[in-house]
Amino acid sequence: MTVAIATRQTVALTKRSTLAILRQPVLIVPSLVFPLFFAALSASSFSKTTRLPGFPKVDSFLQFTLASTVIQGVLFGSITGAAALATDIEGGFFDRLLAAPTARTGILIGNLMGSALFGAAQSAIFVFALLPFGVRVEAGLLGIGAMIISGGLIALGISSLMSAVAIRTGSAEAVQGAFPLLFVLLFFSSVFFPRQTMHGTYKTIATINPISYLVEGIRSLVLDGFSGLAIAQAILIPIGICVLGFVLALTELRRRLGAR
Amino acid sequence: MNTSSMAVTSNGDEDESSTIRSSWGLAVRGLRNIRRLPSAFVPAMLMPVFTTIAFSGTFAAITELPNFPTSRSVNWFMPLGICFGSAFAGVGLGFSAIRDIETGFYDRLRMSPTSRWSLIIGPLIAAWSRAILICVFVISLGFVLGVRFTAGVTGVATLVAASLGIATICLGWGLGLAFRFRDMRGAALMQLSMFVALYLTPAQVPLPLTTGWLHAVARINPVTNILRLARQGLVSKSSVDSLSWANTWGGLVAILGMSILALIFAKRGLAKLDK
Amino acid sequence: MTLQHPIVAENLSRHFGDLKAVDGINLSVSEGEIFGFLGPNGAGKSTVVRMLTTLLRPTSGTARVAGFDVVKQADSVRRSIGVALQDAAIDPLMTGTELLQLQAVLYGIPANKMKSRAGELLERVGLTAAGDRRVGTYSGGMRRRLDLALSLIHQPTVLFLDEPTAGLDPMSRIALWDEVRRLNSEGTTVMLTTQYLEEADQLADRIAIIDKGQIVREGQPRVLKSSVGVPTLIVNVSKEQLEVATAVLVTFGEIRPTGDNAVGVGLRQGAQAVTDVVRKLDEAGVRVSHLELNEPSLDDVFAEATGHRLEGETQ
Repeated sequence: MTVAIATRQTVALTKRSTLAILRQPVLIVPSLVFPLFFAALSASSFSKTTRLPGFPKVDSFLQFTLASTVIQGVLFGSITGAAALATDIEGGFFDRLLAAPTARTGILIGNLMGSALFGAAQSAIFVFALLPFGVRVEAGLLGIGAMIISGGLIALGISSLMSAVAIRTGSAEAVQGAFPLLFVLLFFSSVFFPRQTMHGTYKTIATINPISYLVEGIRSLVLDGFSGLAIAQAILIPIGICVLGFVLALTELRRRLGAR
Repeated sequence: MNTSSMAVTSNGDEDESSTIRSSWGLAVRGLRNIRRLPSAFVPAMLMPVFTTIAFSGTFAAITELPNFPTSRSVNWFMPLGICFGSAFAGVGLGFSAIRDIETGFYDRLRMSPTSRWSLIIGPLIAAWSRAILICVFVISLGFVLGVRFTAGVTGVATLVAASLGIATICLGWGLGLAFRFRDMRGAALMQLSMFVALYLTPAQVPLPLTTGWLHAVARINPVTNILRLARQGLVSKSSVDSLSWANTWGGLVAILGMSILALIFAKRGLAKLDK
Repeated sequence: MTLQHPIVAENLSRHFGDLKAVDGINLSVSEGEIFGFLGPNGAGKSTVVRMLTTLLRPTSGTARVAGFDVVKQADSVRRSIGVALQDAAIDPLMTGTELLQLQAVLYGIPANKMKSRAGELLERVGLTAAGDRRVGTYSGGMRRRLDLALSLIHQPTVLFLDEPTAGLDPMSRIALWDEVRRLNSEGTTVMLTTQYLEEADQLADRIAIIDKGQIVREGQPRVLKSSVGVPTLIVNVSKEQLEVATAVLVTFGEIRPTGDNAVGVGLRQGAQAVTDVVRKLDEAGVRVSHLELNEPSLDDVFAEATGHRLEGETQ
């Protein structure tokens, strides 16, 4: 198979998976509205906490919370793509794709690109929604660009992990069931509050949770400005998740095909 | 033709006892399902546990804010967890009602000559039982995590009262929506509205520490009173929020008023099912 | 106390928006009758039953069941009727016994009689051994039987059976028919909705056919069938005697096409002419090897009334 054909197929599937998300306002609206609601809520709740010892130097809690909003929104949004894949598997569409002479990786990427694009769009929307409320992104336009790319990569990574679940179980319900796990991962990290203010076991868990470093990278772009370390955290960690997710998903795919 | 008006006019006492019996029969069914359909109840049980642990761990430092009413973050967040869990217990029976309507089982209940109130009181008893289970479970766990009831047993009682109140309100609201939507859209709306109502309060920090729009909304949200009722036995005795009649009556009035409205909403919805 | 007409509907209508699901029907079911209510899907059958069983309020018109108005005296109607629902809606998480006991509580059966009544009914429908199993594990036939038992908990005088045998295997279906006949012989008035013409033919004393929200035929199956035509008698004889036999049979009605070595005749006077036919054939010296009488079917009635056939569409 030539690279050109494989690319065309991947593009076609990307288009389909993107449209599949756009056509479901029931899924899109909550993953845009909720994170913004929680941003507004915590800005009003925690505005006085920014003077606590250990809290990083910020203009406002809202500025601190921008990175939280991006991560939270993108993580929840990426459930959508994986659930759609599970539905494809349940409905038999996925098998039809596999039966076609299409590259496996292409199928997988095509199916997840919709999520990735949506994740990037979410990041952009969150940043531009908070800017009018006095939130400054110290790293400037370059930083915003990095955040958008990061959002896309996070979505791609998480949805590839979820796809491994979807391919293994073939059930949309199982994918939805993994949702609370994401919640746990999110909370036991520094996504919502600075790690420096935490104590004891909780702090230890947040310190070993990779999500902490991811959010701190993005947050550093917002609060401190452009730096190699921040970029590395915001981009390389999601790439790591993508690699892990794709390896798992392709392994599950091979297992699924081998089982027949 | 003298067609038996006999069958209709049984005396009032009997009617009352049959309402209680029917309610109890339906409540037992709701309770049995805890064991038989754990996937519906376990999340309602884990959710308050998670809220308690995650919130008090993540936001541990907020107790260092000036005038924060307690120095233990678990004391502050466990009541919130219990309120969330109780709300879930209430709307959970709304989910069951939707399931029953979708399978047609609810037709069977509606066709029976039992009093219409028992179709609401039955699930209410089940919701209360679930809320009590949540209280027992989460408070026990709270003790392990270092929760201290500053006002002793009375503080436990006010927390349980708040839990039962929220379960009642959410049950009425949940059933009312179930009867009107009759499908899973109702369930989504139940959860969403419940979350919003509970979050538009001093859920995370005390009212004086909230600012801006949230301060304005939380001040007039009656659920704020219920949260104050729930928390008053756990904040330090020197705090203005500690156990007192002044911190109690507002919560009780809110529970009473919202429960009555929610149960009427449910009863009216039930009557609309044959339309 | 008896009622001559336990189910009466007058001008009963139910509209859903612009759709006239039920459009001014009149019904009268006599005491002790099995009344068959036939119609294709979406004809309004279930809507009528839902109104008669207090689940749905009529848009206009009235209905009385067991002497009570279905809207104003809904509670009394509920006390008098038993209903077995279309899809045997039962909670899969409960056991048969638990469901019967809950039903008993809801119908106000005294606590001391509850257990024995539940036990009796389980036995009656042959589910004693399965009583403590969850309903989710029951087969289709078992669910229907449990559903029937549930509808009998308060010994109703009027029983509504909505598609009681849909999806059942032939054995289970016949067992359920027997039970319905037994109940009817004990004095219960039965209103049966069904899409199976054979079921209506087997069970019903009288039937009504509903199509597009209106009742298009009503009466005894036999009368309805004879109204659409006379029965066909098919006589098999040897090749040599075909001509003689035809000459005899033509005096009883018009000759109808049949297979080889057989003569068919539409009996002008109906089935009672068969004995005369046999006597005349005997007198003419014809030896009959096989004799078959084909009545017009309810499907013929249905086709004549609605312009389309029910059978084959749904089965």
